Amino acid sequence: MNSTSGISPATTAIDAPQDLLIVLRHAPHGSSWLREGLDVALVAAAFGKRVGLLFQGDGVFALLQGQSSGPLAQKGTHPQLAMLEMYDIEHLWVSEAALAARGLPVDSLMLPVTSLEASRIARLMHSHPHTLIF
Amino acid sequence: MLVHAAPYSQQGALSALRFANAVVERGHRLSTVFFYHDGVHNASALMSPPQDEVQLADGWKRLHREGGTQLLVCIAAGLRRGLVDTGEAARHGLNSHSVEPPFELTGVGQLVDAMLENDRLITFAP
Amino acid sequence: MTLHLLNRSPQSEGVYRDLREAFGDGDHLLLIEDGCYAALSSGRDAVAAFAGRVSVLKEDLVSRGLEGRVDGAIEVVDMQGFVDLTEIHQRSVSWF
Repeated sequence: MNSTSGISPATTAIDAPQDLLIVLRHAPHGSSWLREGLDVALVAAAFGKRVGLLFQGDGVFALLQGQSSGPLAQKGTHPQLAMLEMYDIEHLWVSEAALAARGLPVDSLMLPVTSLEASRIARLMHSHPHTLIF
Repeated sequence: MLVHAAPYSQQGALSALRFANAVVERGHRLSTVFFYHDGVHNASALMSPPQDEVQLADGWKRLHREGGTQLLVCIAAGLRRGLVDTGEAARHGLNSHSVEPPFELTGVGQLVDAMLENDRLITFAP
Repeated sequence: MTLHLLNRSPQSEGVYRDLREAFGDGDHLLLIEDGCYAALSSGRDAVAAFAGRVSVLKEDLVSRGLEGRVDGAIEVVDMQGFVDLTEIHQRSVSWF
């Protein structure tokens, strides 16, 4: 099972290992993990490295539509996600199981992503020379 | 080595230091420790643990003194959490500082460089 | 070949679930810190998917009173063994 939403053909290619894979496992707002993981991704991309992102576990909540800083006045991570394209971060993968467990259809997310079943996640990690988990 | 764990709050900081000592004893070169997330607190010059507890700050400084390990602290994560050196204290109008050499405030780009230049990276998290 | 470090007890089911997705052929799991609790026979279900490819760090077991209670299928390694694992495996990732 592998489905792609949106229009970016680049995101369909699992066999496109990047220089660095950042795995995002934490939801926005409750901790700084997601923000700090995305900061590493954006800086690496700004340094000319090819970066891919894998959203796993509660990290998939980063992709929900309708996020705002709201009454918290705490910077969210959705503005960082909106900047990914500008930094040429186009390879966005998401755990199919993590989406299913949270009742999130892949086509309801704020960015086009490729959903991966478990065996392909293992392959994805295997194909990347450098992986950081946040 | 990437350290996300805060000193004394989580075992991760101690695990990182013990592992660092073990790899150096094995004869490997530990080029860089990068402190990120709550790990930046390891760089506080103001830590004052009881005498009978593990002296983490001494351990980090020994790695630098004896093996030349760079002790790099993410400046963005550090500034937010009150980890500032004399230069940043002046720049931000603060009347004290909390980071002293051999710890160095630096950007995340240094983490990316260290990761690509060295043949191993190990992360210790909270 | 990746060395996976895990420092959470099996109580944190989500991290074990995510690790199971990412664990590939030839990979190895080292349980450290509170991950030690997964090395007890009560943690067998949490690490069943990694059978035969799991180690646990001795010093973290000892400090927690767990030495001698480790499931027979799990290898106990000391800090030297930890260093060995990082030499054998080209890369490591940490789950928390």
